[in-house]
Amino acid sequence: MREMISMVVVLTVLSAFSGGMLAAVRTGTQDKIENQVLKFQKAPAIKKILSNVSNDPLQDRFKLTDNDQEITFFVGKVDNKPQAVVLEGKGKGYGGDVGLMVGIDIETDAVIGVWVTTHSETPGLGSRAKDNPDFVSQFSGLGLDKVFAVKNDGGEIDAMSGATITSKAVCMAAKQVQELYLRLKPEIQKQTQQMAN
Amino acid sequence: MGDYIVLAISCIFVNNILLAQFLGNCPFLGTSKKMETATGMAMAVVFVLVMAGMITWITDNYLLKPLNIEFLRTVSFILVIASLVQFVEMFLKKSMPALYAGLGIFLPLITTNCAVMGVCLININEEYTFVQAIVASLAYAIGFGLALILFAGIRERVNVARVPQPLQDTSIGLVTAGIIALSFFAFKGMV
Amino acid sequence: MAQSMVKEFTKGLWAEIPPFRLVLGLCPVLAVTKSVENGIGMGIATTFVLVCSNFLVSLLRNIIPTKVRIACFIVIIATFVTVVELMMQAYTYPLFLKLGIFIPLIVVNCIVLGRAEAFAFKNAPHLAIADGLGMGIGFTLSLGALGAVRECLGSGTILGNAVFGPGFQPFTFMVEAPGAFVCLGLMLCLMNLIGKK
Repeated sequence: MREMISMVVVLTVLSAFSGGMLAAVRTGTQDKIENQVLKFQKAPAIKKILSNVSNDPLQDRFKLTDNDQEITFFVGKVDNKPQAVVLEGKGKGYGGDVGLMVGIDIETDAVIGVWVTTHSETPGLGSRAKDNPDFVSQFSGLGLDKVFAVKNDGGEIDAMSGATITSKAVCMAAKQVQELYLRLKPEIQKQTQQMAN
Repeated sequence: MGDYIVLAISCIFVNNILLAQFLGNCPFLGTSKKMETATGMAMAVVFVLVMAGMITWITDNYLLKPLNIEFLRTVSFILVIASLVQFVEMFLKKSMPALYAGLGIFLPLITTNCAVMGVCLININEEYTFVQAIVASLAYAIGFGLALILFAGIRERVNVARVPQPLQDTSIGLVTAGIIALSFFAFKGMV
Repeated sequence: MAQSMVKEFTKGLWAEIPPFRLVLGLCPVLAVTKSVENGIGMGIATTFVLVCSNFLVSLLRNIIPTKVRIACFIVIIATFVTVVELMMQAYTYPLFLKLGIFIPLIVVNCIVLGRAEAFAFKNAPHLAIADGLGMGIGFTLSLGALGAVRECLGSGTILGNAVFGPGFQPFTFMVEAPGAFVCLGLMLCLMNLIGKK
């Protein structure tokens, strides 16, 4: 009986210690990890989209909440004047979520460019969304009043042959960004105006 | 349905857990000297892997994610696997002594078989649905068994051949494994 | 005391160097040694876990009931593995992405559990640290050496610097899965040859 108690006590104390320690380490590293993810996963996509801005979009970022979800906006400036925002949307693909960075010109409300950040699609088929710029470049220049969907669904985008689901996932992500942007537009304008000053 | 078959084939052959993903190599080399032990290990892995795949998937999606404590994934998965192996052992001993006699000594080894933990983590990383996770776990386990039994068959023959002394045992085993891996390499690009 | 510590430390570097003499923990050895950098990164992560878990296990060796010792070891090891995981995410994100699933899998690396059971549970903390450090450094050296051979032949580089002239045709077999097995097998053979004398 005494052995039993000591077994339970030791295991419980050990687990509690483990949980506590990990929670502490987790809190300590959370911001740092977020920065690293930004730097290595999102930064390349943002740089591709905002290729001719004069600031560092990673520094000039702000967050807004929509339906309890925090969304990060990256602002691109030309001559110190905010010109575009970039934000990420997600669509359900074949092997999981497809992440898509979408850049939007805040004056004309048109897409500047999109770039796939994360995906786990089949190599050689769905993965072309990332490797092949022809597909994603179709979004560039589209106004936000257009329908972001593949042509079969009544939209503007030619699906990649052999990768319909991935094409749809990318469109879904773009559409999510479109809706989000239009919904939050007043707040986005307020934030960017503050940055201009 | 077709998707599941593609997933299964990719897990058994293309991404074979032993030869392409390098998971579970300790038992691969340790239990492959005799056909009998290899078969026992393969069966035990199939059994535990499918159950572990299901339970860890449920743990992750209904416990860790809702509570936002995904950083405890490693700790909780290994505990789940270790206790699962214990339960399976106790259960088999009581209710299926024949099966226990066959799998018995291999069960404790499975806790530290990284194939089990590895597949559970892959299921989560790939964001499989519950059914996909079961199919993938079963297919990975079959791939493991297939490679292990093939390897044991070759190794039994190598044992009666005259191998130069420094190459004996593990060394020639690894080279043999390399050649089997090369033949599995032909499946690349199939799916 | 210092002498015995040195003894425990050095045995990990040659006499019992993992994974050559102690054929344990092969999975990471085969999987991450495509390059020197990956190999050494993995080695250092494993060393950290080995030293910390050895120390804690040895410190608690009189408290942990023998019946549940394995469960206790696993909790301790898993805790330190998660610490490493979070730290690597925060400070060396690209390496973390490359090693991927093999970081959490340190938990089931037989070397770590093996040392806790075979050494740390029976010896004093200072010896356990020396043992963990020696084994860890031995493991790191092995991974580095294997990584060097494979990177050199497979991609013609060492730590990313080209070592051969431009006419070199990379022996791609070495960085692929089958090459890993063959290369480790031949290195083991080499160790046996040297050891025999």
